[in-house]
Amino acid sequence: MNVDRRTLLAGTAAVAAGAALSRRFFQPPYHSMRRPAHSRVAILRASAYDAKLEEILMQGLRLFGLDLSNRSVLLKPNLVDYIPGDAINTHPLMVTAAVECFRRLGARRVVVAEGPGHQRDTHLLLSESGYAEQLKEQNVLFVDLNRDELEKVKLCSNYTDLGHMWLPRTVLDSDFVVSMPKMKTHHWSGVTLSLKNMFGVVPGAKYGWPKNILHWKGIHQCVVDLCATVPVHFVIADGIVGMEGNGPLNGAARLLGTIVLADDPVAADATCARLMGINPDGVLHIHETAQFLGNSSLEFIEQLAEAVQPPETPFHVVPEFEHLRMHNPTPGSPHLG
Amino acid sequence: MSQTFSLRRTASSHHCLTHQLFPLTKAVVTLALMLQEILQELTRRQLPHGGWSYHLASRQASLEPTCLSLLALRSNESEAANRGLRFVISMQNPNGSWPAFEGDDREGSWTTSLALWALQGRAVHASLIDRGQRWLLQSKGRESHWLWKWKFRTTDRHVRFDPDKFGWPWMPETNSWVVPTSFSLLALKQWFPPNGASQANFRIELGVQMLLDRVCPGGGWNAGNGVVYGVPLAPHPDATAIALVALVTQTLNPTVQRSLDWLEHAVLTRSAPWSLAWALIALQSHQRSIREPHSRLLQSIEESRIEDAATLAVVALALKSANGQDIFGVRE
Repeated sequence: MNVDRRTLLAGTAAVAAGAALSRRFFQPPYHSMRRPAHSRVAILRASAYDAKLEEILMQGLRLFGLDLSNRSVLLKPNLVDYIPGDAINTHPLMVTAAVECFRRLGARRVVVAEGPGHQRDTHLLLSESGYAEQLKEQNVLFVDLNRDELEKVKLCSNYTDLGHMWLPRTVLDSDFVVSMPKMKTHHWSGVTLSLKNMFGVVPGAKYGWPKNILHWKGIHQCVVDLCATVPVHFVIADGIVGMEGNGPLNGAARLLGTIVLADDPVAADATCARLMGINPDGVLHIHETAQFLGNSSLEFIEQLAEAVQPPETPFHVVPEFEHLRMHNPTPGSPHLG
Repeated sequence: MSQTFSLRRTASSHHCLTHQLFPLTKAVVTLALMLQEILQELTRRQLPHGGWSYHLASRQASLEPTCLSLLALRSNESEAANRGLRFVISMQNPNGSWPAFEGDDREGSWTTSLALWALQGRAVHASLIDRGQRWLLQSKGRESHWLWKWKFRTTDRHVRFDPDKFGWPWMPETNSWVVPTSFSLLALKQWFPPNGASQANFRIELGVQMLLDRVCPGGGWNAGNGVVYGVPLAPHPDATAIALVALVTQTLNPTVQRSLDWLEHAVLTRSAPWSLAWALIALQSHQRSIREPHSRLLQSIEESRIEDAATLAVVALALKSANGQDIFGVRE
């Protein structure tokens, strides 16, 4: 068979294009498998935000045997906005209790950092939410991630086409990042827990208030890309009072009396979702991160304290997410949905 | 904390000078000294290449603190102001826009309007301004595209707004929001005379309509919309104040009046310098009483640690505004 130069070139180009296209379809969108063989979660009971919190947290943290000597710890609470009487933010007493615990565990430095998504006046938000007073009392440094020095970082998965993101140096330079979400439902993403909480590290100075590009690129996809890139080493989820219904800002407070600790954010979120009566496998970003970043299946989650007890009445959600609510779930079953 | 700005350490020097400069009242002298000290502090914080970072510890200049500092230093024909100006000019992107910070990607950002504020009234090359203005005029919220208009009118009705009325986004390919729209309106109003038939006046009118459309039900503005999932959102003092500054030529509009009422009430319980400073500038520009925000701002300067240069610059602008200076030069 005679093949001229033009045909050969065209054929080569077609093969290359086909290979590139099929690679996109057949390769997973994450760069490496980082799912641990087992994850550890501790469900702790706490009835109120009071002076006992520190001891409850300390006992929980000891279950994990963390070695934090000479390490810098960054606590990332969920500090969004302030509406009097609402359960929007991670409670400031939970954050300062965590600061004290990590100091006792030998951390070289503990900072609290957040980049609120809507409020540009972080100072106002800190003072109205009660954070300013608590942080001052405990002499804790707060870093406004919206205005931090930034570094361009290649994303470690391709669920969006962003490729890179500008991220705060304070986060990138920390040895141990602790996501401290409030256990809430969310009208765009179903739930907002430790993974979604990481939206707060995306800097407003670059991406705006709110960080609208994350909505246009897909909330779930952005959560996955972000959490694949910024490692969350530990989770302390505030579920003493959570939020149900039209979260993350305008839902109703829901007493749960629970704190969830975990060494894997996927396991933490799957557990929190179950405690809220929400099917974690139905939440896209939990489902996707469970493919490569952490464990959502009960089979691979070691419970260090109490067992998962879903509520009799699942957390209320907006109508679009009604399918996530688990009615009559079987406690402890790996297939609660 | 040594990296923060506090006026407490200079209380005694204020006292002495107050007596020396009699017959000026103590309050006037103290204010003048306070402003002078803030401007000196801003000058001290300038980075060697001429820009300003948000935080003293950072060496990465950002356009917001830089442009606000240049506005605050506008009447000072100092070397600091000139270096700052040169820095802003050097940061312009090839497409005419400005980046949000040093090293940023080159597609353009919300700070383009701030750069145009800073260059207003300065002797700079006309083509530089022209390119910046052209970029700003073609920048618009993504909801302005017919496809998304259709989506927001038919299938996505959770957020209440009229997509025909659009303004400016924080960054390309995203929706219009209150603050970048207000900043852009101010820039265009500064550079283009009113009542013309230009594209600029069309965008100004549309931007004004967008702000009036997105107002919260009780007056004032949140980040972008007034009602989400049927729930009215609470206004934010700074977004409200910035929108009101941009709407200075619409002062008789009932929505503007309602928002001014809300802001006057809101400042009674707020103590954050950034919000108070913007509130003072807004109330002053609409000729409302500034007594309350003024006294609260002075108190907050005494008590707060002002850590970022952008806040420090807006506080300086507010003190100048309280002194009768027109900060943005936008009038009927």
